Amino acid sequence: MGIDSWKSQLRKGAAELAVLGMLREKDLSGIGLLDELSAKPEIGLSDGSIYPLLNRLEREGRIKGAWVTPKAGGHGQKKYSLTPKGRAALKVMSSIWNGFKVQLTTIVGDE
Amino acid sequence: MTSTEKIEPFMRELSRALSSLKETDRDDILLEIRSHLEHRKEESRLDEALVSLGSAKECARGFYEEIRLQEAFTDGGPTKTIGALVALASRRITAAFGLLAAGVFYLMAAGFAVTAVAEVVTPELAGFWVDADKGAFFMGVIDPDSTATATEMLGSWLIPVAAGLGVIALICGQWLGRFFIRRMMRNSADRLA
Repeated sequence: MGIDSWKSQLRKGAAELAVLGMLREKDLSGIGLLDELSAKPEIGLSDGSIYPLLNRLEREGRIKGAWVTPKAGGHGQKKYSLTPKGRAALKVMSSIWNGFKVQLTTIVGDE
Repeated sequence: MTSTEKIEPFMRELSRALSSLKETDRDDILLEIRSHLEHRKEESRLDEALVSLGSAKECARGFYEEIRLQEAFTDGGPTKTIGALVALASRRITAAFGLLAAGVFYLMAAGFAVTAVAEVVTPELAGFWVDADKGAFFMGVIDPDSTATATEMLGSWLIPVAAGLGVIALICGQWLGRFFIRRMMRNSADRLA
């Protein structure tokens, strides 16, 4: 398995956890999420991949979208927030991720 | 080329590519993608956004596959499962294998159902036939000329046996279909990366 393939496997599921994690603190639009993630390219979300992911998470009932139009006018944005189901999923996923991270770090180190 | 000249053709093509979705789903996606492009235009990052979205067909595919897979997974019925596998078979090898595997069992289920009905309609020709001389066996409706050499083994048990086997084949087909749907849902996460 090449490094790229390994990296792809490593990212499996991470994008979903990252999106849910960012929505824990505040409601964000697709653009808002992308802008926050622009400094974290290793997460691997792009303009083309984030909207199908948001669409799926909304269908699964983990997030809820609502259209917001700026008071000053201009184009509206669909802002997403975590639902109770999404918050519960995030709690479980975070716990699993933290356990995984701690155990793997004891094996490979943190440098 | 102005920004509008770049956005409008993309949106028209995206609308066409999403035409098989429900109108409310399609409109919501189109509105959100348009909003995304308009915001990027205001930030003078439209070209970058269009490159990142890919072609309208590629962009539509991401939504289309997620929706078809999730509908099939949530519904759980054979119609949605086979529908999703058929829709994705030309683009994803996993769907093609899933369609083939599940399809074989669904066809077997249909064959057993036809056999059970045939036992009612033409009981003299329907049955579980064994030709001891040739070492061959067959369940279904036999050619009238072959009844001389073959022996029917189940008699009135044919209907419950065929119905039972049909249900087993249906369950196997459904399990296989859902196995491949689940597998593709997991692989969707790979493509995000």
